[in-house]
Amino acid sequence: MNFRPLKSSEIAALENQGCFSSDWSKIEVSDPFSTHAVHHVRFSGVVRLGSLGGAMETKAGETLTSGLYYSKIENCEIGNDVFIDHVHLLKNYRIMDRVVLENVDSISVNASSSFGNGYEIEVLNEGGGREVKMFDRLSAQLAYILVSYRHDSALIASINQMIDQHVKEKTSETACIETGAEIINSGIISEVNVGAYASIRGAAHLKNGTIVSNEHAPVFVGDNVIAKNFIFHSGSKVDGGALVDKSFVGQGVEIGKQFSAENSLFFANSEAFHGEAVSVFAGPYTVSHHKSSLLIAGMYSFYNAGSGTNQSNHMYKLGPVHQGIMERGSKTGSFAYLLWPCRIGAYSVVMGKNLASFDTSELPFSYITVEQEKSMLTPGMNLFTVGTRRDSEKWPKRDKRKDPEKLDLINFDFLSPYIIQKVVRSLDVLLELYEKAAKKQESVFYKGIRIKRLMLKSTRKYYEMALHIFLGNQLLARLEDMQEISSMNTLRKALSPVSHEKAGMWLDLAGMVATETAVQDLLTDIGSGSIGTLEELLSGLQQIHSSYDCEVWDWTAALLAERLDIDVEKISAEQLLDLITLWEKETIKLDKMILMDASKEFDESSRIGFGIDGDEAIRNKDFEAVRGVAEENKFIIAIKEEITQTEKRAAELIKKIQGLQD
Amino acid sequence: MDKNEILTRVKGVVSAVLKTDSSEITDDANFVFDLGADSMQSVELVAGFEEEFDIEMDQDRALEVQSIDDAVNFIAEYV
Repeated sequence: MNFRPLKSSEIAALENQGCFSSDWSKIEVSDPFSTHAVHHVRFSGVVRLGSLGGAMETKAGETLTSGLYYSKIENCEIGNDVFIDHVHLLKNYRIMDRVVLENVDSISVNASSSFGNGYEIEVLNEGGGREVKMFDRLSAQLAYILVSYRHDSALIASINQMIDQHVKEKTSETACIETGAEIINSGIISEVNVGAYASIRGAAHLKNGTIVSNEHAPVFVGDNVIAKNFIFHSGSKVDGGALVDKSFVGQGVEIGKQFSAENSLFFANSEAFHGEAVSVFAGPYTVSHHKSSLLIAGMYSFYNAGSGTNQSNHMYKLGPVHQGIMERGSKTGSFAYLLWPCRIGAYSVVMGKNLASFDTSELPFSYITVEQEKSMLTPGMNLFTVGTRRDSEKWPKRDKRKDPEKLDLINFDFLSPYIIQKVVRSLDVLLELYEKAAKKQESVFYKGIRIKRLMLKSTRKYYEMALHIFLGNQLLARLEDMQEISSMNTLRKALSPVSHEKAGMWLDLAGMVATETAVQDLLTDIGSGSIGTLEELLSGLQQIHSSYDCEVWDWTAALLAERLDIDVEKISAEQLLDLITLWEKETIKLDKMILMDASKEFDESSRIGFGIDGDEAIRNKDFEAVRGVAEENKFIIAIKEEITQTEKRAAELIKKIQGLQD
Repeated sequence: MDKNEILTRVKGVVSAVLKTDSSEITDDANFVFDLGADSMQSVELVAGFEEEFDIEMDQDRALEVQSIDDAVNFIAEYV
């Protein structure tokens, strides 16, 4: 935009309209410029004004005449059709087009600032040592590496150097409020960059932060929010008196209802209400909805904290130095307590007051309960519960991120190689424990937790079921992708792995499932300098995420050879038929077990409290009026349909394969 | 094995798993409603029956076993 000095007639008009400047020569305007939309404004320092006086519409649908009214503006550049009314101080800001600032105490930059970028957050270990320098393009995966790979100090230094360069580029003595943003009825806002179409309404105090917002995924900051040293990312909503200090709020995250967050990272689609988080790495889909929940010094993803969840990282020893990990899909029941350090295996449920430190990461899908003050693990139990199935189905449907660029790389596969490698390990662990246990033993110890001896043998069947379903899922996905299966040879060719190297370990990097080899290659490239910028690093992570499908099949092929002695390049029709039949049997069996679990929601005990003043008939009528009948429940219908589809898919493939020539 | 023997041994397993005196367990007692078994104990009962009778019970069918007499009839198919 081109600017010119004010004409003397314009200065006179402005002064007549209550405006003041000690040096009008520092006030420049776009041409043409009309003074009629500038009233009672005190200008200070260098100020540039765009075209004002045009009609504009607020997000709430109110039509306004753009202009500057009853405000003090110091060292600012104001875009076209901006509405500024009753802003006590607007200082060192660039205000872009169609921005609304109304009834705000102050919006200012008082010193050079990086606007939250580069601010160190003490994640996971409250005693320090795992600090993350947050910035406006931080992803869950990069944060995971920064937090978890401290053993490689050169790597951390290299990444931090890249972040420092980014922070340098972001550092300025002026901030920006981008196109279409609105700040209304708010308190003090200092050193805060506000992205396009963000809406700040009634915030109490925002200091040293960046709000990354755009037209597709605007950010909302609401009543009485106090945030210091923060980054709010696109599509996030921080509302209801939330207190946010030294925290990163990722894409599609919601924080509100007086939640308090300190030194924490919240990644995609996390939700935090009522409770408190301190030094938390909340990976994608971490949810804490209830009062009295304290999440502290923990790393989670796809985690649901029940009411009154409490975690302890202190124990009056060397300070708050303990930490905990809850792998993806885990839950804590109401008033569940965990004494860090602990590592909880994926898709596990924790109940009761656990006073021991244990590691259950090799036994996913477990129930962790407390009996007579001792923590007890039931392996595999959570594989066939309704909750696990519902959760795994709902996550992809509840992705609230509307930003075309999604920073966090999320793999929603329920039975991924990461989980299945644990399943395979659990089969070996349980067998070993069973063989070593004496029959008179009621329970055995495993990595700090008790397992009832009786469960060691029987629960292996659940893990076997998960393994067979995974193998079948992968096989069927490939077979069904083939346009035409003309012979066993073409089929074998299609099933050939891309790489014949031995498949290694799989990692879950806060939602992204990847081979350890791929991640190590990326880290080596960082160390060697082949990857030297954040963009290259983020792109490298994206490439790993994109190669998942291909890597999965290679790993599955190796697993088939290892566990079932099947070489996919020499697979016979008989072996294929056996695999498909096993998949069909186990998938249906699991579905039936889930149906059984779902049916409990309609049994006698679920009816307690219904029909409050009536007899059994009234109770049943009341129950059916409120809860419906099992046969009409959408979830139950969907599982039954899945059983039908499983039978159909298996039958179709079996028919095709039976007709093939070798 | 006759059903009376199965019944006695089933009650023994139930008594051990649910920490209940076997004399208080009726022949048609429901594990959940009458004996207060939770979902984990239901799984433990299946494991207990498997060990007691040295059988492998089909998981989904085993979970349908809700009472002492269900268990006796179910186990009778295996032994």
